[in-house]
Amino acid sequence: MEIFNDFLLGFSTATTSGNLLYCFLGVLLGTAVGVLPGLGPVATISMLLPFTFGLPVDTALIMLAGIFYGSQYGGSTTAILMNLPGEASSVVTTLDGHEMAKQGKAGRALAAAAISSFFAGTVGTLFIAASAPLLAGLALTFGPTEYFSLIVLGLITSMVLASGSLLTAFGMALFGAILGMIGTDVNSGAARFTFDTPNLLDGLNFVVVATGIFGLGDVFANLENERSRSAGVAAVSSLFPTREDWKRMCAPIMRGTGIGVLLGVLPGAGVLLASFSAYALEKKFSRHSTEFGKGAIEGVAAPEAANNAAAQTCFIPMLTLGLPGTATMALMIGALVVQGVQPGPEILTQQPSLFWGLVVSMWLGNLMLLFLNLPLVGVWAKLISVPYHYLFPMICVFVAIGVYSINNSVFDVYMMALFGVLGYFFRKVGAEPAPLILAMILGPMAEEYLRRALLISHGDPSVFLTSPLSLGTLVIAALLLLSIISPRFRKVREEGLQEAD
Amino acid sequence: MKIRQDSVLGLFFAITGCIALLIALKYPFGTASRMGPGFFPVVISTLLVATGIGILIRSISASCDPFPAITWKALVMIPAAIIVFCVAIEPLGFLPAVLLLLVLSAATSVKFRLDWKTSAGALLFAGLCTVLFVELIGLPMPVLGIWLQ
Repeated sequence: MEIFNDFLLGFSTATTSGNLLYCFLGVLLGTAVGVLPGLGPVATISMLLPFTFGLPVDTALIMLAGIFYGSQYGGSTTAILMNLPGEASSVVTTLDGHEMAKQGKAGRALAAAAISSFFAGTVGTLFIAASAPLLAGLALTFGPTEYFSLIVLGLITSMVLASGSLLTAFGMALFGAILGMIGTDVNSGAARFTFDTPNLLDGLNFVVVATGIFGLGDVFANLENERSRSAGVAAVSSLFPTREDWKRMCAPIMRGTGIGVLLGVLPGAGVLLASFSAYALEKKFSRHSTEFGKGAIEGVAAPEAANNAAAQTCFIPMLTLGLPGTATMALMIGALVVQGVQPGPEILTQQPSLFWGLVVSMWLGNLMLLFLNLPLVGVWAKLISVPYHYLFPMICVFVAIGVYSINNSVFDVYMMALFGVLGYFFRKVGAEPAPLILAMILGPMAEEYLRRALLISHGDPSVFLTSPLSLGTLVIAALLLLSIISPRFRKVREEGLQEAD
Repeated sequence: MKIRQDSVLGLFFAITGCIALLIALKYPFGTASRMGPGFFPVVISTLLVATGIGILIRSISASCDPFPAITWKALVMIPAAIIVFCVAIEPLGFLPAVLLLLVLSAATSVKFRLDWKTSAGALLFAGLCTVLFVELIGLPMPVLGIWLQ
């Protein structure tokens, strides 16, 4: 009963009063910031990052995770009540969720989202507990060749799933990789792209770039249509799903959870893919398929379940391989590195209480969300309706303090402002920043693994094709690329991404 | 003629790639079996230049959305407010710096009015931030800087 002992260890870590409190605080703050329109999980986490400084590592990680799924939940609340998705993956929720809200069923839509999220979160957590040790064990047998190929797959997936053209996404990833190279080369000690300033010797802080592009970049973009911005928040009435709602929700929740759990593990943008696929599947198979887009409860329950299940399982590649699958996970790695922890397969064996504490706190956090959000929904609705001209100066203050507090460095704040402007520019030219963010973390890893792999093989690149696992990974990556180039799949992708816009 | 989105982005990638390539060529390249610090940067920046040129070519041949209008006000005012915050935080301290950033960035909005209500709100928010970040979280910043002490 090893897993039982592991859970016990997790429970004893997660339920110390301090950790429980910070889990609660994380969930609460994450939701409070996440419901604010236009703030997705990346911006939310980077704004709230300073709150985790000075905490012990396990507490900080638990709080960060709480902030993450709190902000996810907050995002769907805004999507339902205001038709403003905070991030791409809650776009699907707006389709039927806001439609239900318009029909006066906002409470039932919110309840459906909360219940399906909780169920999916529970399954997702169990899935992590069962599969992460296996994968971490497997990961210890991976050599640099396998890691390099996995990174290539992750980057290609994120490019394929980015909106806009593949070439643009490729350029963004390359630009991100160059940003990642700034600083001292770990191998030779050479200072690269530092422009002779000592500020850049330690590299460009990842959190600084993400905060600039997502936090500040959003502010610039939102100020653009300030005048036309409407703040119509739907009223919330009864929060209890009817018996018929339950009946209609059950199967979609199960299916959505299944899709989410599996797709979340994929490197790239699993969360987004999961919610879209779940919605598409329900639309195809539901007996009420004509109601989709007009306020079908299945259209809220299934993607929300998939969304949340994937949000849980996307921790798996990060915790077991140290490879982020999404921009949010990349930010989590950045935050962990600030804390002095390098995520990877060693976490599970060397810091089991950290790992299992996190797993258990994920479940506790989901439980708290269920009991926190439904009663507090009135408060969230009030928060959503705060006019933007009061909101954005506060966002500016929070991002500035957050970035300054990482190293007490003014230079970082200037960099953040610069990347805020760049983030706005990327938005203007229709380039999605997700591949850039991922490549900034994955690029230096790719370089290191490539160097090691070629060192072992004496410069022979064919090693990537002779290792079966590496070959398999590269074949999947190649198939993904081919599929997007072939006209038939291109049409499917364009339709899928169009719905996201 | 309208400027196209792709022309701007392609140019950005090509120029950034060229600069990165010129810098990267100065680092020892090494061989495939012993990659030097210049190996990866040269490969990546060459690819970036190629991608930039590819996007530029596409912008000429294919139809593409025009480059949208830019609202310069926020783009200038908010970074300026952040620079003021950075300059002020050492000599003036945390509280005044936050207050300055808050008011200057708020001035970007078309709905900005400086009356007693908003001023009181700004003061209250800056005070709350100070209590939260300096007192509770314990960030090592002076509430009031050396100039004000």
